[in-house]
Amino acid sequence: MVGEAHVSMIPTTPKKVWSANVNGHAVQALAPSNAILLDVLRDEVGMLGVKRGCDLGTCGCCTVLVNGEPRLSCLCLAGQVEGDDITTVEGLAEGAHLAPIQTCFATHGGSQCGFCTPGFLMAAEALLDSNPEPSREEISCAIDGNLCRCTGYQQIIDSIEAAAEIKRGDAPAPMPASNPHPNPHPEGPDQPSMPPGHAR
Amino acid sequence: MSGGYRQQPGASRGTTRKDGKRVAGKQKFPPPGSGGSHPNMAPRDLDWIPESVGGKEPQPAGSHIHDRYRTGTSVGKPRALVDSHAKVTGQAWYGDDVRLPNEIIGKILRSPHHYAKIKSIDTSKVEALPGVLAVATGQDAPNSFGVLPVTKDEHAMAIEKVRHVGDLVACVAAIDEATAMEALNLFDIEWEVLEPVFDPKKGLEDQDEPIHWRGKYHVGKTNVQKRVFQEFGDRSLVEEPSASSHGKWRMEGVHHGFTEPHAVVAHWDPNGRLQLYTPQQVPHYAHRALSTVLDVPMHQINVIRTFVGGGFGGKSDPFPHEMCAAILSRKAGRPVRINFSREEVYWINRGRHPSHIEVKMTADEDARISGFDIDALIDGGGFASFGHVTSYYNGVLATAPYELGSFHYTGARVWTNKPASGAMRGHGAVNTRCAVEVGLDEMSEQLKVDPIDLRLANLLPPHSRTISGFRITSNGMREALERVREGSNWDRKFRQMPLGKGIGIGCGFFISGSGLPIHWDPNRFPHATVHMQIDMDGGVTVHTGAADIGQGSTTAVAQVVSEVLALPIEMIHVRSHESDTSPVDLGSYSSRVTFMNANAAIRAALEIREKLLNAAWEMIGYHPDVLVLNDRRIYYKHDPAVGVSYLQALHKAQEDKGSLIASGAYRSPPMGGVHKGAAAGLAPAYSFSAYVAEVDVDVETGLISCTDVWAAHDCGKALNPLAVEGQIIGSCHMGLGQVLSEKMVYGRTGHLQNPNLLEYKIPSVHEMPNVTPIIVESSDPEGPFGAKEAGEGPLLPILPAVVNAVYDAIGVRIRELPLTPDVVWKAISAKTKSLDGIEPTDLPAPRLTHGPLQATLVERGNEHKVRDKKRQRSEDTSAYVNGVLFGFDPERPMEDQVEGWRTAVEPDPEQLAELGLAGKAWLKQEQRHMGGEQ
Ligand code: FES
Ligand code: FES
Repeated sequence: MVGEAHVSMIPTTPKKVWSANVNGHAVQALAPSNAILLDVLRDEVGMLGVKRGCDLGTCGCCTVLVNGEPRLSCLCLAGQVEGDDITTVEGLAEGAHLAPIQTCFATHGGSQCGFCTPGFLMAAEALLDSNPEPSREEISCAIDGNLCRCTGYQQIIDSIEAAAEIKRGDAPAPMPASNPHPNPHPEGPDQPSMPPGHAR
Repeated sequence: MSGGYRQQPGASRGTTRKDGKRVAGKQKFPPPGSGGSHPNMAPRDLDWIPESVGGKEPQPAGSHIHDRYRTGTSVGKPRALVDSHAKVTGQAWYGDDVRLPNEIIGKILRSPHHYAKIKSIDTSKVEALPGVLAVATGQDAPNSFGVLPVTKDEHAMAIEKVRHVGDLVACVAAIDEATAMEALNLFDIEWEVLEPVFDPKKGLEDQDEPIHWRGKYHVGKTNVQKRVFQEFGDRSLVEEPSASSHGKWRMEGVHHGFTEPHAVVAHWDPNGRLQLYTPQQVPHYAHRALSTVLDVPMHQINVIRTFVGGGFGGKSDPFPHEMCAAILSRKAGRPVRINFSREEVYWINRGRHPSHIEVKMTADEDARISGFDIDALIDGGGFASFGHVTSYYNGVLATAPYELGSFHYTGARVWTNKPASGAMRGHGAVNTRCAVEVGLDEMSEQLKVDPIDLRLANLLPPHSRTISGFRITSNGMREALERVREGSNWDRKFRQMPLGKGIGIGCGFFISGSGLPIHWDPNRFPHATVHMQIDMDGGVTVHTGAADIGQGSTTAVAQVVSEVLALPIEMIHVRSHESDTSPVDLGSYSSRVTFMNANAAIRAALEIREKLLNAAWEMIGYHPDVLVLNDRRIYYKHDPAVGVSYLQALHKAQEDKGSLIASGAYRSPPMGGVHKGAAAGLAPAYSFSAYVAEVDVDVETGLISCTDVWAAHDCGKALNPLAVEGQIIGSCHMGLGQVLSEKMVYGRTGHLQNPNLLEYKIPSVHEMPNVTPIIVESSDPEGPFGAKEAGEGPLLPILPAVVNAVYDAIGVRIRELPLTPDVVWKAISAKTKSLDGIEPTDLPAPRLTHGPLQATLVERGNEHKVRDKKRQRSEDTSAYVNGVLFGFDPERPMEDQVEGWRTAVEPDPEQLAELGLAGKAWLKQEQRHMGGEQ
C-alpha cells in the first residue's frame, strides 16, 4: 500500500521547547513544531483533565481558556499560544477550594458521566467572567459549542445559573456538596448514656 | 474531643491570609468515625420516613417491605453524585487517562473492504520499522468470542475474512503514535474481494457466501442471524375491527454518541497477570471473553473499569481492541495503550439497529385493542453482538402496558456488511414502541376519541400478567398519563392548535433488569453481589462490581447503605473498579443496576445492621425491636437519651472478631412462561412512562423544532430525584436526536458517510426543548425501597410523542425516522399535491369531534382507575391476567376458555404465505432440516 507519494507520519524536524503559563505556573515542554495544543497539554504537561472527544472541533470536551477566552485545544497549534496564559479544569479550584461553578455542577446534576464536564466548566467560567448575570438564553449560546450526551443540557444550565448567583454574592457559597447534614459532625460525650440499672 | 483533624478539600470555607491567598481551613473535626451522640445528634428527619412507620412521607402507592429500614438519611433526597468532585476537578480517570510507566502505543489496522477474504498478510516490513515493538494478526488469537454465549462470532482480529469496512485486520504497537501510524501503512495484504450485502432485505435471501456460517443451525444459505415468531391470544378477535392502523416504518441506525471514545490499556504485571484498564459497562463479560481469547484463566486477569465517559449500551460488548491491547502487550512486554479516534468509534458501532417495522393493529367495537401484529426486520451489521436479544425485544416489549386481545410478532435480524449493531439505551424496544404508539394515535382518530382516554381505558392494572406471561408488579402508567395530561394542558391544546403547532402523546414500557442473566448457569449464581466491610474507624467500604457509567449507580449503592445504617454518605466508600476486589456483577445493561445492586447492598447492610443492634442490645439492654438507628447513634425508641453511639456499638460488635464483614446478593425470582423465548423480556419489575411533546413545524421548509416536553416516568421510588430527573432529561435528548436529526448514513456504496460528530447530528443545546420531568412513584414491592429503573425507559415515549405531535401540527403522518426537513417536506408536498396542489400554508390542521365512544372510554377509564388503585395498594389481590378486559376468567387457563387461543413460537405452514417482511425468514429451513450440514 506504500505508494511513491507516501509521506511518512514520523516527524523529521527536531522537537523544540514550548513554554506557556499553565494554570498560573510557567511550564516548558518539548514538542514538535506542528504539535497540537491538546496533545501537548495532555501528554507533555500532564493535564489529563483536558479531554479528547473528537479531535475535530466538534464536541468541545477539549475546551481550555487561553488568556481568558475559551478555545478548542484540539484545533489549536501549541505554537499559536506560546507564552500565553492557559487555564485548564485543573486550574479552576483555588488550592483545595472548588470554584462555585465546580460545586454547582456537582449539586445541580450538571455532570453525569463527567467526560464533557471539563469543557463545559471552562466555557461557563469564561461566560461568568464576562457576564455575571447571564440569562438562560445567553448561557445556551455560551455552551453551544459543547456536546453533552448524558444530561440533555438542562441541569448544566441550572448549574451555571446557580454558580452565577454565588459568584455575584446573591446566594451563599454552598455547603460542601457531599454533605446534606446541617450538623455534619456532631460532637458530644463519647460515653454511652445508659438507663439506671442497665449498665453492664 | 480532639480537634484539628485536617479537613478534606473544599469542605470548609478556608481563611484568607494577610497576603490575600486563601488557604485550606482547619476545622474542628472529631476523630474519624466517632459516632453521633446525644444531644448533638441530628433530629430524625421525619419528612423522609414513610407514613407506614410513623414518619411523614406520603405513600399513595402503599407501604413497602423496606419501609422499616428507612432512617431518613439518604433515600429520596436529591444529592450530588458521590464521584462528582472527581469529575468537576478533572481528576476522574477515563480510559485514555491511564498512563503507565514505559507505555507504548497500539494502533489497529482496519479493513478497507466491505467484505473480503484475507489470502495472506505479510508483516515483515512492519516488523522492520524501527520503533515497532509488536505486531499481531488474527492468527495470534484464533478463539472466538461474543457477548452472548449462543453467538460467539467475533475474533480479536479477522481470521479468514473481514466483514465490514473498519473491521479489525491487524494491530501494531510502537514507541509512539506516529511510528504506530506509519507502521499501519506497511502491511502487505492480499485480498479476495467478495460481493457485499448492505440491504437487510437482501440478507433474507440465499447467498453464495453468507457472512457467517452457523453450521446445522444456519437458516438456509441466508444471512439471517436470528428469527423469532410469537403468537398469543385469540386471532379471531381481529376480524371486523371498528378501527385499524397499518403502518410501515423505516428507521435509520443511530449511535450512542457518548463523548468518550473507547480506549484501553493493557499491562502484564511482573507476576504474569493481565491488568486491563477499560471503560466498560460490563467488565465481567470482557473478563470472560479475555480469558477465552487469550487462553488465560480468569483469575489471572484483573479487569479495571476506568471512569466511563458515557455508555448507553455502546460499551457493553467485550471488544476486539481490548484483546488486541492485551496481545500486543504480551508480545512487547510493555504496557500498551490504544485509544480510538472518533471515526473508529463508529466502526465498532453497536448502535441501534436500522429497522423496517410494520405494525398492524385493530380495535373492536368497545375500543378494546383486539390485536397487535408486528413485523420487525433489523439490520445487525457484521456481528451478532446482543442481536439475539434485540430480535425478541422488538416484539415482546410491546406486549404492555395495554391489554391485548391477541399478539403476533415476527422478527428477523440479518447480518450485513456494515459495522455491527447492538444494544443501545431502550434496547430493542424503541423503534417498535414508536410504531405502536403512533398506530394508537391513528386508531383513536378513527374511533373519534381522545388518544389519552383510549390508553387509559386499555391499561393493564398493577399486579397482572401480560399476554406473553410477563409478571407486572407495580404500575404507574395511569398516573403518568394523568399527570402529563394535566401538566401540558392537553385538553385545551390537542387538535385545537393552529397549523404548524402540534401536541402529541407517547407511552413507554421497559424492563428493570433482565430476569435471566446472559450467562445462564445452573448453579443459581446471583445477579448481583455486594460485599461490605467496616473496620475500627467506622467507615463502610462497599465492594460492588456495578459499573457506574455516569448514571449514578455508585451513588445509589452508597445511598441505600447510608440509609439502612443511618450514616452520612461520606462514611460510605464504594469500591467498584477492579474485578480483583469486587464481587462478580453482570454489569450495566438492561437497566438492572439500581434494582439488583441496591437490593444486594440492602441485604448486606441489613446484616451489619443486625450485628450493630445486637451489640447495642448487649450494651443497653433493650431488644433490637425497640431500638432506633439515627445519625450515627442507636437508641431506645421511647427515650432517645438512652443509647450508644454507632462507634461504640461497632466496637462492641467487633470484639474478638475484628472488622465486620457482610455480603448480600440478589437473584430475581423465578418467573414467566415456558414457551421458547419466554425468558426474553422477563424482568423482576417494569418501568412505565408517558410523555407529551409540543412541536413547531415550519410547513414551508419541513423543519421541526420540539419546544416543550412533559415527561412522566414511573421509577417506583426515586432514590435520588436529581439523578432521576437527569436521566429523564438526558433520555429526551437522546430520543429527540433519533426522531429529529440522528442517522448513520450509508451511501449507495455502503460506506458510512458520517463517522464524526459534525455530520452525525446530536442535538445541541439549542435543539433541546424545555423538559418538565415528572417523577411517578409506584413503589415496587421488590425494588430497593420501591425503586425501579429510570435510565432507559424514559427514552421510549419521546419518539412517538414527537411523531404524533407533528401529525397534530400538519395533518401528515410520516413513518420514516429521523424526521429531517427533507423527509418532512417531501411528505408535505405529497399531501398538498393530493389536495389539488394547495399551498402548504393552507393545509388543514387536524381537528377532533368526540364520537359516542369517548364517553364509554372515559367511564371505563374511571372504573379502571378505582380498580388499579386497589390493586396497587394490595387491597385487591385477586389474580389478573391479560384477557380479563375481554371477559375471560383469570383463574382458568385461557386455552380452556377460548377455542383458538394460541401460544405459538413457530408459524403454522398455512401462515407462511401471509407473513410480513421479517416473517419471510421462516420460509427457509435450517440446514439440519434440509439434510445439509449436520
Ligand atoms: S476534542 Fe476538541 S472539540 Fe472535540
Ligand atoms: S455528562 Fe456525560 S457527556 Fe456530559
